[in-house]
Amino acid sequence: MSIDLLVQALLNGFGLAMVYVLVALGLTLIFSILEIINFAHGEFYMLGGYVTYYAYALFGLNYFATLGLAILTVGLAGVVAERLIFHDLRGKALNAFIVSLGLLWVMQAGAQLAFGVLDKPVPSAFSGIVRVLGLVISVERLVVTLSAIVLIVALYLFLRLSRPGRAMRAVAQDADAAALQGVNIEAVAALGFGVGCALAGGAGGLLAPVFAVSPAMGALPVVKAFIIIIVGGMGSLPGAVLGGLLLGGVEGLGALFMGSAAVNILGFLMVIAVLLVRPRGLVGGA
Amino acid sequence: MELSRSAGVPSAGVALIALAAAALPLVTRDSYYLDVATTILMNLTLTMSFRLQVSTGQINMAHISFMGIGAYASALLVTRVGLSFWATLWIGPLVAAALAVPIGSVALRVSGPYYFLITFAFSEVVRLFFNNFFEGLFGGPSGLVGIPKPDRLLGLAFDGKLELYGLMAVLCVGVALALVRLDHSRFGLTAGAIRQADLLAETLGVNVFRYKLTTFVLGSFIAGLAGVFFAHFRRVLHSSDFGLEPMVLLVVFTVIGGTGSVWGPVVGTILMTIASELLRELHHYEILVFGAVLILTMLFAPEGLVALPGTARRLLRRLRGRAPAAAGVGLAP
Repeated sequence: MSIDLLVQALLNGFGLAMVYVLVALGLTLIFSILEIINFAHGEFYMLGGYVTYYAYALFGLNYFATLGLAILTVGLAGVVAERLIFHDLRGKALNAFIVSLGLLWVMQAGAQLAFGVLDKPVPSAFSGIVRVLGLVISVERLVVTLSAIVLIVALYLFLRLSRPGRAMRAVAQDADAAALQGVNIEAVAALGFGVGCALAGGAGGLLAPVFAVSPAMGALPVVKAFIIIIVGGMGSLPGAVLGGLLLGGVEGLGALFMGSAAVNILGFLMVIAVLLVRPRGLVGGA
Repeated sequence: MELSRSAGVPSAGVALIALAAAALPLVTRDSYYLDVATTILMNLTLTMSFRLQVSTGQINMAHISFMGIGAYASALLVTRVGLSFWATLWIGPLVAAALAVPIGSVALRVSGPYYFLITFAFSEVVRLFFNNFFEGLFGGPSGLVGIPKPDRLLGLAFDGKLELYGLMAVLCVGVALALVRLDHSRFGLTAGAIRQADLLAETLGVNVFRYKLTTFVLGSFIAGLAGVFFAHFRRVLHSSDFGLEPMVLLVVFTVIGGTGSVWGPVVGTILMTIASELLRELHHYEILVFGAVLILTMLFAPEGLVALPGTARRLLRRLRGRAPAAAGVGLAP
């Protein structure tokens, strides 16, 4: 097999994986602040997809403005979900998990009733391909991947430098100590949930033109995000990026040898392998 | 003494279920009602075995997969090898239990949220495996078809709804009896101790891992049993029968009734299976309603419907307790 083909396969894998890292970062942020595994996270991704469909495909708004709108809208929906539903379940992993299963159904069925069950196509914003060193990359994938990377960097800077971002990290490390230092836990929880969902919404907006928009579109990315955060270590942001790169690499290479449905099983096998060796994930702490 | 008294009540309860199950055919032999009743009993077997694991604090998202493993194992052994249903009725669950040993050993290395996710990962592996691999064997996306009904046993033909209903009733009551006895044995008490404080139980010399693994394997055996029946009752298998949606339904059935006792899943399963039948024509609404009910139950009655009288009594007592206090405040100035 030629090296070109291998590199091409890896690139294909990494491209989409960066978007799934966005979904995973949202999940892991919510987990580290509220200790909640939100199984309905994929449904916030789906919301982002529908915002994109209506604003960009129907209304004709600019692609990047639509992306911003998707991030804001879904972030707001996340804040509402935290205030209404998850507010009293902080730290109750089992109950919160079950509630998120219920939310998954409510949002999915709600989308079916509101938007219809059929796939809605979103036209590509960019066409054409670029050739670099014999590799073929579609401009659309390139824009999607770069946008995802920009959002990941923006999240990193937000958590590092901004006041609310630092409050979030403080709560994630030790909620009681943070509260004693005057951090408003309620506000941080709502904002953290909102930011986590906003990332999923952004991912949904980015992938809406790549895949079609449908009520069940959240299932695949959330499953990939679960794989990414288990492999990388739950609650670890660098772990999520590492997990995403690993998953992208494995799936990209796997696609050379097997069908796309069979490739999905590779990620799960990777999860099982990692848990056997390092149950806390590659970058997870104690 | 406390033990023997509490054990008497559930045994009487199982007798009540058995009586109700036996009485149904006297009331109606309509094939639709028998179908619904059979489905209730099958779901009941599943939820009771699921609760067994919840009772050690684990939400096993792969529970439905062991039902699938039992179902596919029996279907293949009957159609390809030519074994009798009455043999695979035991072999199917044993296959599920045998696979549960390595899977449980891996999954139980982690706890809490990690456990939800790794068991979910396993369930997806199993589902994708049935869907995408060995299509000639498992039927792939179009499903495994042509599964026969159970063959004759002791001169009884199992070709009608009534006989299948009777078989499921016997299986379900048998499982219920076994689980009730288990709940009130030393094993059941230890399981409760593990759920409440597994670290404490561990320091008292309980081998927590072994207990959790035993409940995992036992639960998988029972799920496999329900699976074998499912295969020969529905006579066609799809990998999606054992996917996330039926698994969440299982959680709904179990949690809405409450996981504190065997009765929670019984009440939850009967109510929700009937609700599911009533809402059948409106599938989107069914999912919407069930999801909302699940959220509301967890937020306002996390101990489930069965615990509602107790919760209400406690609330009332608190209200009554508060009433004189309020009067007192009123009198003070």
